[in-house]
Amino acid sequence: MNNPGDDASNFPRGPAGPGVTDAAGDPDDDFRLVARAQQGDLSAYDELVTRHRGRIFAMIRNMIHQEADAWDLSQEVFIKAWQALPRFEAKARFSTWLYRIAHNAVYDWTRKRKIESVGELNDEIFERERIDAASFTTPFGGDAPDDSMVQGELRAKIAAALGKISPEHREVVLLKDVQGLSYKEIAEVMSCELGTVMSRLYYARQKLQTLLKDEYQSR
Amino acid sequence: MNINPDEARLALWLEDELHGEELATFEAALAGRAELFAAREEVRRWRGMMAAALPPSVEPPYPDFFNSRIAKAIRELDAAPLPEPNAAGGFSWRAWFMPVAACAGMAITFWLGGLKSGRVPEIDVTGAPRAIPVEPILYTPENGVSAEWIASSKAAASVIVLSGVEAIPDATDFSETVYLKQQRAIDSTAGLNPEPFSNE
Repeated sequence: MNNPGDDASNFPRGPAGPGVTDAAGDPDDDFRLVARAQQGDLSAYDELVTRHRGRIFAMIRNMIHQEADAWDLSQEVFIKAWQALPRFEAKARFSTWLYRIAHNAVYDWTRKRKIESVGELNDEIFERERIDAASFTTPFGGDAPDDSMVQGELRAKIAAALGKISPEHREVVLLKDVQGLSYKEIAEVMSCELGTVMSRLYYARQKLQTLLKDEYQSR
Repeated sequence: MNINPDEARLALWLEDELHGEELATFEAALAGRAELFAAREEVRRWRGMMAAALPPSVEPPYPDFFNSRIAKAIRELDAAPLPEPNAAGGFSWRAWFMPVAACAGMAITFWLGGLKSGRVPEIDVTGAPRAIPVEPILYTPENGVSAEWIASSKAAASVIVLSGVEAIPDATDFSETVYLKQQRAIDSTAGLNPEPFSNE
């Protein structure tokens, strides 16, 4: 795990949209805010929420493809993080720790949805592998008015392709290629070995590149 | 999954996760391996496309409301009363008294229920047929002895009069037929006159 002073900006990161906060800004600031929050300073925690809510919301929404549930789950992540904050040690970046909580929240949500869907009229509608991942209930909040149509189409195709791969593959791609986490951080978030992360990422990219063959080769 | 250390280092290099001296050493070892450098460029291109299409950070709708709801939930959590600490260090009379009291309550309930169900039901006998008084049949063990039964409803009594029975001799020892309680010395010392103390 990176030390607080490690420079995470060496890893490629996607451009933040307009009005988007960059959670990975300065880990040192995070640790200062965490220290205050651990003393019960709610305003410090509110600032941490503001700094990280964009990444957590984007990650969860890309995982579950449900805007409203992603909004609720993101809040749940920060509430659980507050409850666990006394146990947080500065061994990991605060953002990595949040991704770990988000990982658990998403998988709990998925299990719950699977249980609830048993016996319903049409279970197929809950098979997320069959859902068009681009079918968000509301438009992307980060869209800028001047976004090109081409970029929008590519985004929709990538989202749809992500919806066709397994949740584990989807998560590793999102953490690596979108959120810019290192292999080691991803292993910590997903609670698996480094080699497993490497393997999953390799196969996930292979599948996605096959699904996005036309778009990928034209670039 | 176990992987070769060199493969792991190569994977890290492809993802731009090697730095400093380790990066320089590894790239020096890769000199002349143009296909690997091309592969790294390919990975970079892929990451660039993904990152451009899917922003890593997207503000949630109504961000102020988002924060305020979290703050509200936290305040409610903090205001919730904590469970009473157990000062006895693990032992509490409530821990065993409550189950015992519950069992006793159930036992009393079953007992009362049993009493009620075991009670003889009250039956209306006003319409039942009444018994007809019949004169009893009297037997006498000795010849020459007769018996007469006299019933008096006014006196609420019945008398049997025997005739021809021989007189009971005075020498008859009734103690043989009747149990008489005799006080034994070891039964009790109460009521006995204590002997006066002697100064000798």
